[in-house]
Parts: sequence; structure tokens; C-alpha cells
Amino acid sequence: MRYSFYPGCSMEGAAVPYLKSFEAVADVLYMGLEEIPDWNCCGATVASGVIGDYPAQVLAARNLALAEPKRFDIVVPCSSCYMNLALTNKKFQDDKHFRAMVKEALRAGGLKYRGTLKVRQIVEVLINDVGIDKIRAAVRKPLAGLRVAGYVGCQTPRVFPWQFDDPEQPVFMDRIIEALGATPVKFPMKARCCGSSHSLTKPEITTGSGYNIISCALEDGAQVIVTPCPMCQMNLDAYQGMIKQHHQLKTEMPVLFLTQLMAIAFDLPPAAWALKYNIVSPFEALAPYGVKP
Amino acid sequence: MTEPLKYKTEFAEEIYALENGPYIKKCMQCGMCDVSCATRNEMDFSPRELFMLLRTGKREDFFKANTMWMCSTCLMCKVRCPRGIPLVDVMHDLKSHAIRLGYTDPPQASFYQAFWQEILGRGRVFEGGLMARYYLKRGWSEIRKGFEMRDLGMKMVMHSRIPIKPPKAIRGLKGMRAIIERAQELTQKEGR
Ligand code: SF4
Ligand code: SF4
Repeated sequence: MRYSFYPGCSMEGAAVPYLKSFEAVADVLYMGLEEIPDWNCCGATVASGVIGDYPAQVLAARNLALAEPKRFDIVVPCSSCYMNLALTNKKFQDDKHFRAMVKEALRAGGLKYRGTLKVRQIVEVLINDVGIDKIRAAVRKPLAGLRVAGYVGCQTPRVFPWQFDDPEQPVFMDRIIEALGATPVKFPMKARCCGSSHSLTKPEITTGSGYNIISCALEDGAQVIVTPCPMCQMNLDAYQGMIKQHHQLKTEMPVLFLTQLMAIAFDLPPAAWALKYNIVSPFEALAPYGVKP
Repeated sequence: MTEPLKYKTEFAEEIYALENGPYIKKCMQCGMCDVSCATRNEMDFSPRELFMLLRTGKREDFFKANTMWMCSTCLMCKVRCPRGIPLVDVMHDLKSHAIRLGYTDPPQASFYQAFWQEILGRGRVFEGGLMARYYLKRGWSEIRKGFEMRDLGMKMVMHSRIPIKPPKAIRGLKGMRAIIERAQELTQKEGR
């Protein structure tokens, strides 16, 4: 297995623990990752709101063009990056007029895309390419008894509804949580919005959504939340202090990246857990599994 | 008796001419987007109501509504709309059209512009740079709010979640800008 890897801007900043744990986990699972050379921002949920869909999708397509010579599928961990790259790619493949327009714009930068690649979401790759059996076989420290709320987030399951899961109540990530020996809780808010970039412009939205999501996880008896989305992780982890100021939270809720929990269950060195970056301490919840600061 | 609604098409035609504008014509006012929306409680008008403002030609109300700016791109409406309207893409058009026309009062409009400047400036987005640009645009009242968030910022720094140094600009920045410029020219040529 080899993949072109699109880390996205968040992995250079707030989502550093995602990058560290993902690279370590990918190594164990023999997923050869090759970072796309000189990749640019995917545009997030923002570029299209400034310059319009088509120019923003051309911006995303620059990354596809840079990855194409390697011919590997592109694996994308961040949900917004996945949305932008995957939707652009699909439109490029389906819509002749759009394809011609994108090609012409790319030419202005000396680039070319032929549309041969697939853009893949990280959890979907873990399940469909790596496989649950191989993940289970890599577990050295089963997380028996740990109750985990799998927070998939809003965009991942809805970019292509029903393509790999239910767009509103996805269960695919729960299969990975089970493979690690832990117990996924029901958690019906698993695909509701975390408030996204309102965290800066209108933090009340973020703290309100965060409160509802964490309360739902607590009600179902979760001890930790895991997510594959950098935005979700930041809004639930970094903003939890603010959530507590405005709402009554019964207890603190550690929020890990899915790959951090995998690194722990694979019994990789603590550097691969990358837990020092987590703001809400996960050490109490994870103490029974030998996880110490 | 309330006055019957009169459809006025002039303003609607302007919006229908946007990239995803034609989809709006299919709206049957069922209200599914209203009940699905993640941020409906924060909106002056729900997406459905916004489309009604459009049909009745209420231009000022339309652009002063915060609806498009509240959209968090959660995709729920797009998944559920029975007429298959990609509402979230429509919201993109409405945001960029509003910016073009100078309706940029909402803080989100500043945030969007700051984010875009950050992309154009180095090809990647650095959170520190983004915040600096945003607060610079918003001025003092927002900076004060920013201070209230300083605990959060401190925690982020303590846990090494905000790099001190911005990333280097991408090597192909010039080419990237040329690509965007060309795309914008082509958009204009298409009359959008
Ligand atoms: S769900 Fe679709 S058809 Fe129904 S009101 Fe909203 S936009 Fe219109
Ligand atoms: S994508 Fe936007 S408009 Fe649609 S449900 Fe989500 S927040 Fe509401």
C-alpha cells in the first residue's frame, strides 16, 4: 500500500498530535505515506465564500495536479480538506465543462491534471484498504472496558452520503474502536456540527454545540471522545474550559484523535501517543492501560 | 387580512445567475433545511425564509440577514433537501456575492477575508497570522473579546498547539496565484 498524503494546514499547527500519531500508526500498518510536494491550503470552508466555488476548487485541484505523477490514491485526514479535494476531484471527473475550466486555470501555473486519482478519507482507508483484521492484529494492549464515544463529525460522512456510511448516524469508525478492544457507546450526536470556525467569530455557538455533544457522550457513559477531525478535536478540547464556564458539565471529557487511541492500543512509544498536546488531561481515563504523563 | 405575497423577479434573477443560483428555483418551501440546520437558532432567517425573501424581492433584508454567515458547512441540509438543492454551495455564492457588494459588517465576513489573505500570502494558513489579520480588521471591540479568550490561547501555547513561527510560504506561490487569477478571469467570462 502506498498513498499520497495531504496533511493540510491544521497538521502544521493545532493538529500536531494527529500528525504524530497518524504517521506512527500508518507505519505499523504498512501504509506508505508520501507527502504531496509543496501542497497548498485546500481552501477550508472559507475560500469558496470569498471567491466562489469554482476558483476555490481550482485552488484545491492544484494539489491533485501535484500528486498525480505518483499515481497513488490521496489519503486525507482532515474532514474539510477531504471535502474540498474529494468534491473537486469528483466534479472534475463527471463534469466536462468544469474539467476544461480547471485545466485551463491550472495551465496558468504550468500544471496539469488528468483526473486519474482517487481522494480517500482516512477512516475509510483504514477500514477498506488496511482492514479491521489487520488493525486488530496490531493491537498489543487491548483497551478492554474503555467506553469510547466515536465523534465522526459533520462533513466526513456527508460528502458522499451512503458511499461508505450513513450520513447522519455513521458506524464505520465504531468498528475501529471495537477492534482496539474498547466499547463504542451509542452517542447519537456523533455526526452533529461542532460549531466549526465560529469558534473565533461567535464562540457561543462553539461552546453551545460542544456542551450538547459532550453531554450526549457523558449520558451514554463515555470516558473519552475520539475524532478524526482537527476542527472537532480543537473545539471540544481547547474550548472545554469555556464550555464549563457557560454550562454545567458533570465532569471533564478527554478528546483524542482516533489515531492517538490506536497508537496507545498498538503499544507504541509515548511519543506516538502525542498526549502532551491534549488540553483536557486524558491520563485518568487511560491510567488502567498504563498510560502515564 | 394580510397582503398576498407578490413575487418580484428582478433581484431573484441576479442571484439565480450565480454559480449555484439556478438550484434555488427548485425550492418548494418544505422547511426540511430549517429543522436540520445546525445553527438555525442563530439565524435571522432560516435558509427557506431567505429564499422567500429572494422571491419577494426583499434585497436589503436578504443581504443584511446573517443566514449565510451562520452556515457552518455541516452539510446536513444538502443531504436532506428533498429537491436536491446543494444549500451549502448556494451559501458560498451568497457569501462571496455579499462581499463583492460590500455587505461585510458581520464578523464572519472579516474572518473569511482574513483567511483568504492568509492563503494568498503564503499558500497555507497559519493560525497566528489568521488571528492577527482578523483582529486587525475588526478593531478594538473584537480585540477585547479576544482578551476574554486569552486563557484558551495560553493553554494552546502551553500545550504547543500554536507554533510560534509561521510556516514558510510554499515554493509555488507565484504559480498558485496565477492559477487563481486565471480562474477568476474565467469566472467573469462566464458572466457569474
Ligand atoms: S429543504 Fe430544500 S426544498 Fe425544502 S425549504 Fe429547504 S431548500 Fe427548500
Ligand atoms: S450546511 Fe449550513 S445551512 Fe446547511 S444545515 Fe449546516 S449550517 Fe445549516
